[in-house]
Amino acid sequence: MIRFILKRLAYGFLVLIGVIIVIFFLFHALPGDPVSMMAGQRTDIATRESIARELGLKEPLHIQFLLYINDLSPLSIHNDNASNREKYGYRKLFRLKKDKVMVIKRPYLRRSFQSNRRVDEILMGNLLNTFWLALAAMILATIIGIFSGIIAAINQNTWLDHLIISVSVLGISIPTFLSAILFAIIFGYYLSDYTGLNLTGQLWETDPIYGRQLHLENIILPAITLGIRPLSIIVQLTRSSMLDVLSKDYIRTAKAKGLSRFLTVYKHALKNALNPVITAVSGWLASLMAGAFFVEYIFDWKGLGFVTIKAVQSLDFPVVMGSTLIVALIFILINIFVDILYAVVDPRIRLTD
Amino acid sequence: MNELFDNSKTVLDIRDLTVDFISENGITTAVEDLTMSIGEGESVGIVGESGSGKTVTALSILKLLQSPPGIYRDGSILFRSKIFGEVDLLQQSEDSLQKIRGHEISMIFQEPMTSLNPVLSCGDQLVESLTLHKGIKAKEAREMAVDLFRTVQLPRANIIFDSYPHNISGGQKQRVMIAMALACQPQVIIADEPTTALDVTVQANILRLLKNLREDLNSSVLFITHDLGVIAEIADRIIVMYEGRIVEQGTIWDVFSDPKHPYTKGLLACRPRLDLRMKRLPTVSDFMSHDFRIPDEIIGEKEEEKNVDTEDQKYKSVGEAILLNVERKDELIERRLSVIQGGPILTVNGLKKYYPIHKGLFGKHIEEVKAVDGISFEVYPGETIGLVGESGCGKTTLGKLLIRLLEPTAGEIIFEGKNIATLNQGELRGLRKSMQIIFQDPYNSLNPRQTVGDAILEPMKIHGLFRRVDRKDKVFELLYKVGMKESVYNRYPHEFSGGERQRICIARALSLQPRFVILDESVSALDVSVQAQILNLLNQLKKDFGFTYIFISHDLSVVKFMSDRLFVMRNGRFIEMGFSEDIYLRPREEYTQNLIESIPKGDLEDIRKNVLRRRILKTARLIREEIKTKHDE
Repeated sequence: MIRFILKRLAYGFLVLIGVIIVIFFLFHALPGDPVSMMAGQRTDIATRESIARELGLKEPLHIQFLLYINDLSPLSIHNDNASNREKYGYRKLFRLKKDKVMVIKRPYLRRSFQSNRRVDEILMGNLLNTFWLALAAMILATIIGIFSGIIAAINQNTWLDHLIISVSVLGISIPTFLSAILFAIIFGYYLSDYTGLNLTGQLWETDPIYGRQLHLENIILPAITLGIRPLSIIVQLTRSSMLDVLSKDYIRTAKAKGLSRFLTVYKHALKNALNPVITAVSGWLASLMAGAFFVEYIFDWKGLGFVTIKAVQSLDFPVVMGSTLIVALIFILINIFVDILYAVVDPRIRLTD
Repeated sequence: MNELFDNSKTVLDIRDLTVDFISENGITTAVEDLTMSIGEGESVGIVGESGSGKTVTALSILKLLQSPPGIYRDGSILFRSKIFGEVDLLQQSEDSLQKIRGHEISMIFQEPMTSLNPVLSCGDQLVESLTLHKGIKAKEAREMAVDLFRTVQLPRANIIFDSYPHNISGGQKQRVMIAMALACQPQVIIADEPTTALDVTVQANILRLLKNLREDLNSSVLFITHDLGVIAEIADRIIVMYEGRIVEQGTIWDVFSDPKHPYTKGLLACRPRLDLRMKRLPTVSDFMSHDFRIPDEIIGEKEEEKNVDTEDQKYKSVGEAILLNVERKDELIERRLSVIQGGPILTVNGLKKYYPIHKGLFGKHIEEVKAVDGISFEVYPGETIGLVGESGCGKTTLGKLLIRLLEPTAGEIIFEGKNIATLNQGELRGLRKSMQIIFQDPYNSLNPRQTVGDAILEPMKIHGLFRRVDRKDKVFELLYKVGMKESVYNRYPHEFSGGERQRICIARALSLQPRFVILDESVSALDVSVQAQILNLLNQLKKDFGFTYIFISHDLSVVKFMSDRLFVMRNGRFIEMGFSEDIYLRPREEYTQNLIESIPKGDLEDIRKNVLRRRILKTARLIREEIKTKHDE
């Protein structure tokens, strides 16, 4: 099992390297001049030169890439001087040459062109918001989705089955921006008096009197909106996977043993039927973290998507690159987690180490 | 023989059972007016081919048929239940049925591979019954389960308890199934083809186990199979089913020694025999003039009439059918002589196929599985080589290596002067034209979205055989050769039965006019009656086209019928080679002997012994019980 996990981690690392390569060269090919972005109004040659040197733009492309990797890597080699110490905030491990040191540090994603803040600091603040939103949406989708999928499967071809399927088809086909606006207006505006929900709002709000406060109700509408599509897909997946499993020979064996309908479904069928659902859930969780752009934008939710859209609008490349990288990392980690989860649910997978 | 059961109580009584299946095409009757009964401690066998309604009958007893499409139109299934008294199972509610299923009536299914839940451990699946029906605590149930595993002679019962089904072999899975069925000491055990999916040697072990358990437990057994030889080992009484009806029933001795119905006669005669060499196997249709299902010559429109006319049937008795087809001594010598004329068509030298086992983080090559381990042999034009061995012995790998569907690790395969092992892709395509393989499973080896005609036409297209306008005629000719009508050209594989599909597969393999055909378990998935037809067809085609066959199977009786020479394979090597008659008469290796003995023969002498043995045991038990009751008083 440990070897299995190590192997998955090693593969994940290789994928990450690939993603970094693609991101770096892709953003290099994009139009836009970082120097003008950084320099802003101060356009004298000397400033431009120094900014270009600071960003390493004078170096050939492959050196620039190595520098980027060196910045990202938690273990890296730098000239040991005051400005670098301030820039990276590293801890010295050992000295290599007279002024080179091997250091350990937080990955350095460079600084925003706009605000000159460290990109990882900007993103981390918002990542957590996105994470809570995606998690809430996913929990909602998984619980309701699996439950209604099972209900539909064991009542196949009844009115209940047809109803559940119709609703889920609607859920799949409705565009997120439409459902987001509809939910926001109906529940957050017209019915606001009854629901007590706001059009926009954050999980943590700072109140002039009481200070920072948790507002759980603010996550309800964005989470529902975000969860609709995964919910609908989970319903359909669970249903078809359940129907497939219910026609298997071992279900007949379970019935022949005299097991009740509930035990047959719950003990014998569910675990077998959940495999495709787990894949879907994890895939969706990852893409929700990345793809909550519309919902975050409409509900003004200060998350990763929100920052990224803002950064794209202002051509703030380090932020966009940084958020792309983080999303990739999340995808990779969740996939590894799912592989492990599979092995727990389905003992057959452990064989193929 | 009947007096054994006259005074015993009837446990299960099925009366006028009629089961319909409703589909878009209308109503099909799967079982019609079936009346039968099983006495206490009696073992009843139902024989019939696929589609005869025997499985439907079995599932009806526990009301396990999927409904819809299955509907119990008429009849009753009376059961003497210990909980509910005498009840009609068909009228019972789902709740009370759940108390009977697995508790008073249990079932062993055909496919041990798919009938166990892959995500639950073997022990859990057994304990479940015990806790459910007997209300036993989990801890005690575990001990009982391990004991049960020992009863069904599973090795390392404690370890098996925690193993998952994919960790254990097919035979072991079936033992777990049997243990599950025995768990609550049911009054009736229904075994639906419990050994069909297993190797002959494993089958023999499982049959022996079932036989012993039955005698110990005094449960009634309903045993379902398509193979009369298997039933002879285990049943007291036989019911022969055909097209949803019972056509004959009687004690095992009566049916085997004096079969009345032509279908029964056909079934008895169509099994390939080990003792006699037949030129052609008698088929069921030789006995039945109007076999509307599969006439031997052409598969035509279904005739409505089911009357069995004894006037124009080919054979009147089993003995006649066998005697008329036996190969005479001079014919045997002539056949052997004709084979060894001329040089070999195929020479194999030191052929090896190793599969490395990778271990460690970086997939370090630690050891290897020797699937085929240095095999050398020659095949002469026009002969049939039989390749026999248990599953996992490497016979299928060898078959695939010969036409390079797998890459050999070492060795050479010389076919008509060319070394197949070193051919490049282009040359291989030329080779595929002269060498073809027909696989085991006719259900999965045809593309369900391709019409029969296209399936047969496709290889010709790929290899650019014949002019385009002639190809369709060629397909018709091939269909005729394998005994099918031109009208099947535009139909899809799912419309056909297993035997018909195998005919289509054969026609497809023949479309390239190969000289060399490898048959990999090509009849193993078929009923014995259909198997006989396909085997005859293969022999007929060989005669017509002058093929050379390599016939791979785990069933020695089939291999012996087909082949001139026989290779016995074990652990990737040939352990015995020679003329098939010689090997059968004088097997040198114990392994070969075991293979021969494992085949259920169903001959009268064995049956007589079985019946006598059971009668003695029965009497002994009665005496024991009498002594016990007297003692108690």
